[in-house]
Amino acid sequence: MGLTDLLTGPRWRSSEGLYGTVPIITATLLVTAGAILFAVPIGVAAAIFISEVTPSRFKSVLKSISEVFAGIPSVIYGFFGLTVLVPLLRDTFPSHLLMGYSWLAGSILLGIMALPTIISVSEDALSAVPKSYREASMAMGATKWETTIKVVTPAAISGISAAIILGIGRAVGETMAVMMVCGNSAIVPDPIFNVFSRIRPITSTIALEMPYVVIGSTHYSALFFLALILMIMVLAISMASKIIVNRTRRKFGETENKPSLTGIIVAKLPVPLVNGFKNALVVAGLFLIAYFISLTFSNSFGAVLIGISVTVAIVASSLLWLNRLKNEGVSDRPRNPSEFIESIPVKIKAVSRNIITYALVITVVFMGASLFYDDVVAFMAGLAVAAAYVTLRSVFRRIDSRVVQKVAHTALLAVMIFAILLLVYILADIFIEGLPMITWDFLTGYPKDAGRAGGIYPAIVGTLKLIVGSMIIALPLGMITGIFLAEYAKDTPFTRTVRNSIDILNGTPSIVFGLFGMSAFVIYFGFGNSLLAGCITLGLMVLPVIIRTTEEALKAVPGELREGSMAMGATKWETTVKVVLPAAIGSVITGVILSIGRVAGETAPIMFTAVIMYQRVMSHSIFDPVMALPYQLFYLATEGMGSPAMQSAVATVLLIMVLSMFTLASVVRHYFDKRIRW
Amino acid sequence: MVMIMDNVIDIQNVNLWYGDHQALFDVSMPVQKNKVTALIGPSGCGKSTLIRSINRMNDLIDGCRVEGRMMFHGEDIYGPGTDVIKVRKKIGMIFQKPNPFPMSVRDNITYGPKIHGITDKDKLEEILEKSLREAALWEEVKDRLDKSAMSLSGGQQQRLCIARTLAVSPEVILMDEPTSALDPIATSKIEDLITELVKEYTVVIVTHNMQQAARISDYTGFMYIGEMVEFDKTDKIFQNPSKEMTDRYISGRFG
Repeated sequence: MGLTDLLTGPRWRSSEGLYGTVPIITATLLVTAGAILFAVPIGVAAAIFISEVTPSRFKSVLKSISEVFAGIPSVIYGFFGLTVLVPLLRDTFPSHLLMGYSWLAGSILLGIMALPTIISVSEDALSAVPKSYREASMAMGATKWETTIKVVTPAAISGISAAIILGIGRAVGETMAVMMVCGNSAIVPDPIFNVFSRIRPITSTIALEMPYVVIGSTHYSALFFLALILMIMVLAISMASKIIVNRTRRKFGETENKPSLTGIIVAKLPVPLVNGFKNALVVAGLFLIAYFISLTFSNSFGAVLIGISVTVAIVASSLLWLNRLKNEGVSDRPRNPSEFIESIPVKIKAVSRNIITYALVITVVFMGASLFYDDVVAFMAGLAVAAAYVTLRSVFRRIDSRVVQKVAHTALLAVMIFAILLLVYILADIFIEGLPMITWDFLTGYPKDAGRAGGIYPAIVGTLKLIVGSMIIALPLGMITGIFLAEYAKDTPFTRTVRNSIDILNGTPSIVFGLFGMSAFVIYFGFGNSLLAGCITLGLMVLPVIIRTTEEALKAVPGELREGSMAMGATKWETTVKVVLPAAIGSVITGVILSIGRVAGETAPIMFTAVIMYQRVMSHSIFDPVMALPYQLFYLATEGMGSPAMQSAVATVLLIMVLSMFTLASVVRHYFDKRIRW
Repeated sequence: MVMIMDNVIDIQNVNLWYGDHQALFDVSMPVQKNKVTALIGPSGCGKSTLIRSINRMNDLIDGCRVEGRMMFHGEDIYGPGTDVIKVRKKIGMIFQKPNPFPMSVRDNITYGPKIHGITDKDKLEEILEKSLREAALWEEVKDRLDKSAMSLSGGQQQRLCIARTLAVSPEVILMDEPTSALDPIATSKIEDLITELVKEYTVVIVTHNMQQAARISDYTGFMYIGEMVEFDKTDKIFQNPSKEMTDRYISGRFG
């Protein structure tokens, strides 16, 4: 089976030996796009509300609510999706959805999960906009809202785009929640924007098929190929966000991040080569996107043709543009796209921006409406919405700016309340169902009838074992590495490369860790499906978090403390252990507790390295598998085993465990914040 | 105290608190039309607080409270029926550090007029050129109106900020140490500009540079720990101050 078959095959059917990744990759792109469409308006609005409207004393409350959102394990979101969202969608669109499992459900759920990332990163970006911009605008008689929308948000736009990109990263790599609500059919939606179609993204495919795969078969390799594609996507996302963050720093006149090894190598290459490579990348990117989209309605040969022609058309028209500009003497040939865009006259830019906006509005509305009505009606609906948008805009321009501000702030408040109610609803739904079920016997009893009844004692103990085991592996390694990076490593291109790699590991989807853990520890080292393999896998997964939090915590300790100690003749090691580490211990402990919370809730990395569904006698060997709470919830919920109350009870125990970790972390942070000040 | 006929702003017995901390004590000061009024005094004496309270920028600070009367053309700036937005439109402000928006030169200037409802393209272009000319910046930036304002030098940025304020056609321009972040050459350009501007506008300037006050202002107020120690014609303050404390500050014996 060749690379082209993998990349262009229109069907993925493992039972027939067909491993075309087109429907799988398309599904990942679609579900992510939908999630972003859902999460960006809500997330950015909430961030603006927190940063610009909320009085300062409520800010921290809203921020911690968003942190709780971030801390909920993905299997819990999946459970919520399965028990609340899917039936809700089924009842809302009975003629389109038989069961409710759909791309739509997946996108809404992923959108909710991406919200905290988008909110917190955007909020940071907005708060970082210098106060002087706000003052300058207000001093000219602008209202708060005008200042927000015309000065502060544009100034923070790079940070907000970084937030959106990170949100995309979160959505692309998510496994459990998607697998539980998307219906898992490896098909391309028909038409391509049919949000009611079932789909199966990359992550779900790996998680679903890995348990049944024959080691070393084509199927096995195909799954690793999918994981590779996923990693490339995540890498591209992390690079894009890095570039954007660097640009922001340049804009505000801060120092840029110093180059890592790759940066230095690139700087040494001849400029034409680098530019040629960049151009080639852009052309290849254009081609791939056009090719991939056309694959969904054409055969691979046709798609290649369409891809080439679209790429040629775009490149040629932009070159023509450049040429005309040059002939008119308006500008020299711009070296890169951003300069090209800068060279376009303002009026043309404004007009084309408007055209693009209206075209987008009409297209999106048309796509949505055409699923319900025939195309003509749908198109009219698109026009109507665009017209309404134009009218509203001009109406708002005429209204007194203070009234506009009232309306805008009320709308933001409404979005914020919606987000909070959503969280309250998710938690309340699970707690109300689950809490009454929790009895002493439930917590300390063994499961009966394949997990349908009885207690969950082995699952609780299994999760605790996984936590302790992964910490035994990750803590010493992570803290020593963090101390080394902060106190001993010099700031060289090599250490910067190490840091970048750690950040990339940090953003790696947990299913990839699961896949790696399975092939390395379960199979290659022969540990089998065991506690040991699970602990190593989870340990590796949280290692980057622990390294980075340790490093950041130590770096936050002021240099004078070190100098004070060294000036008395203490060695570097004594200074680090007796002065710096104690001063930073609060942040380090907070980081560790947060990673414990993450380990407790993760499902994807352990589902084929460590867990078993049902265990009537607990084994104490590290070479035996364990039961674990998140997997137990996944298993019961997806197999429809046990009563809904029983499932909710498992979810409740897991939630209490994870949320108490987060509460503990914030208590520790506040305690140390109060004790140490500089 | 000189009594002046044509007072644009008349500050009468103003007290100001940040929470429990009182920052201004019973401050009074007239601001005369088409003149430069300077405020001098050691750091923390309340001169910035006073100037910021004139166009109610202190409203943005939590827990800030003002008592007394601050009259603008006979109407109290802090009166119950006063429209803050109109006050700020009529009384513009320039800050210590140049703070152009991270947008093009053009968008920086047209921001204010657009906020105040001007949408006509020709009118905006007219305002753009007029304000930049008034701020003595037109010749330097006319070829790069669509470049980012952040690419200008510090002195150019500060003149851009002045042009931006002029674009909403204020009557009074408040300047809070406008040259403290600039080099001597850029500073002297701004000083020349102020002397030009005062033909059309009224200027109140806070400065920590006594020579600057002496060079460009017509009236000077000396403040110390929240009080207006002395207010008079600039010549009088610098040559023959009536209070001993003013004399000591002017001659550099404290502050």
